[in-house]
Amino acid sequence: MTQRPEPIVLARGVTKAFVSGRQEVWALRGVDLEVCAGEFVALVGPSGSGKTTLLNLIGALDVPTAGELLVLGRPIATLSKRARAHLRLESLGFVFQAYNLVPVLTARENVEFVLELQGKGLDRRLRAQAVLAELGLAELADRRINELSGGQQQRVAVARAVAARPAIVLADEPTANLDGENAETLMHLMRDLRDRHGMTFIFSTHDPRVVAHAVRVVTLVDGCVARDEVTGGDAPAAILPAIAAPPRRG
Amino acid sequence: MTMVSTKYAARSVGRNLRRTILSIVGIAIGCVLALFMESLNRGRGELFARAGSASGVGHLRIVPDTWRGRRDSRLRLADWRADFAAAQAVPGVASVTARARAQVLLAVGTHVVPVELAGVQPDVEPRTFRYVQAIARGRYLRAGETGALVAGRAIADRLSADLDDEIVATTVGPRGEIQSALFHLVGIVSTGSDDTDMAVCQVALEDLQRLTGFPGAGEVSIVLNDYREIDRVRARLVQSVARGDDVMTLSELAPDVEGHFKQDTAVTRFVSGIILLIVLLGVASAQLAAVLERRREFAVLAALGMSGSKMVWLIVQEALMLGGGGALVAVAAGLPLVWKLAHTGLDFTRYLGGSYAFQGVLFDPVVYGDFGWWIVAYVSAVALGATLLASLYPAWYAARTDPAVALRVAQ
Repeated sequence: MTQRPEPIVLARGVTKAFVSGRQEVWALRGVDLEVCAGEFVALVGPSGSGKTTLLNLIGALDVPTAGELLVLGRPIATLSKRARAHLRLESLGFVFQAYNLVPVLTARENVEFVLELQGKGLDRRLRAQAVLAELGLAELADRRINELSGGQQQRVAVARAVAARPAIVLADEPTANLDGENAETLMHLMRDLRDRHGMTFIFSTHDPRVVAHAVRVVTLVDGCVARDEVTGGDAPAAILPAIAAPPRRG
Repeated sequence: MTMVSTKYAARSVGRNLRRTILSIVGIAIGCVLALFMESLNRGRGELFARAGSASGVGHLRIVPDTWRGRRDSRLRLADWRADFAAAQAVPGVASVTARARAQVLLAVGTHVVPVELAGVQPDVEPRTFRYVQAIARGRYLRAGETGALVAGRAIADRLSADLDDEIVATTVGPRGEIQSALFHLVGIVSTGSDDTDMAVCQVALEDLQRLTGFPGAGEVSIVLNDYREIDRVRARLVQSVARGDDVMTLSELAPDVEGHFKQDTAVTRFVSGIILLIVLLGVASAQLAAVLERRREFAVLAALGMSGSKMVWLIVQEALMLGGGGALVAVAAGLPLVWKLAHTGLDFTRYLGGSYAFQGVLFDPVVYGDFGWWIVAYVSAVALGATLLASLYPAWYAARTDPAVALRVAQ
């Protein structure tokens, strides 16, 4: 009998509420989720279903209102701000929808910056260059961000996220600003990185073409996990209507 | 290898060039104003020392040790010739002169004026009391002559005396008896200031000894080549003056004047502080605007795990670069200005006349600034210190960025 590996993300009854004026808005309502090392997980669901909130919690950017959330064995709810920052720096990588690269730095400097923050030594420039080469960006390493296309910028963002070989890479709608071809390329790159380095990828998306690359698809509806399926890289047609559902009001 | 964070800070400073230039110009203006005032403050010390060297007070003065408490002009030195010789022997001494003083009534006909009459050594006196060189009519005292008197124009006018007129000087002798002597007015000094002219009334030291009946001299005034050597020379002189005599510094001789100067310096520094505070607030405002504009960027950096202290250091680096730029501009603009102030000075003759007296010390109405390498250190310290302070709030604000909130707001 094969033993199931220890989850690196473990959520039990996780809820998150935001206060808006006198109202409490519940973004997550009792989410249960386990993600193991090396998984390639897509979070799908209509706008307002809680995908970004869940990613922020797993990314230690925020803390849950209630429930238990362990990331790499660390209880997010009780970690100090400094400890959460340290966890992000050492073990988590982020890819944002709008790339969010530092515009005054070159592609290589953007990647190198994270390594510098980690206190990596003098070889950080070589490491940054190597990661960029791995993502097909070696020629563009010395270009400023505004000299790159959207697809290239997002690849630099992925390079920045994976440069320090984090255990988990979190990507919030990474292909939302990319055309179909660039979105496909990015997803292939992310899967390659997972295959080569064993990193865990958790990403949110609306895009059915992107979901097709996911090995596991978790569907959120109204802040709850509505479906959790292992697809092996081919999302079932049943998931697609949930992705395409109209945004929730309120 | 340059740190990426330093490159980031440097390039961020260049993002909004107009704001950066305005900040640098603001810092530079504040620094130049503060530098100008500090140069004048330092020049005041030199003015005080110059007054000491030119108005007869001296940088140092040997006096009877009881004079410090009593300030009585009838007190005499234990051995003024020994003191005189000791002073002349010390390296760094430019000139030495002995004097005695007495409170006398001068009279010409029915005109009477109370003055402090000084008995001086005519051959060396003009070297320590520059104003007696301003002879408007007649001449100065000659070495060896007796019965000659030089007075300021204000005294001559009040006596209605002219050159060669006979002037009767009356004073109280050692046993309380009234003593008088007759002098000829040989020279009238005109400095352009009535206060100064009223302080000039001199005869030969021997004549004063005869008039008062007090032998010897009451003080030996010393002018140094460099007033900054006052403490060193004093320490040396104290060892060699006659027993019963003491050495006083210019500050001790004219404490009121020094206090007044210190007060002026404090006020000037307070005004400089206000100017720098205004500049500081301007820079803080500009930096805060820069931080607010980059809130999303700071949120991303925080999300990537950048600690608050590293974010503070990032903003502080930007501030130091602005401060460095401001310091360079301030030095470039301030050096010629302060050089001119140090060489031409600020001339208050129009308002104060040729000179003015304060607490018995005669001052030149031209105030010079101080010029030296201290300017670079001063401007750097002020510019970098002010911008460092100005950056603290924006840096703290940036360090507090909540990545989840900032990214949510940005989306």
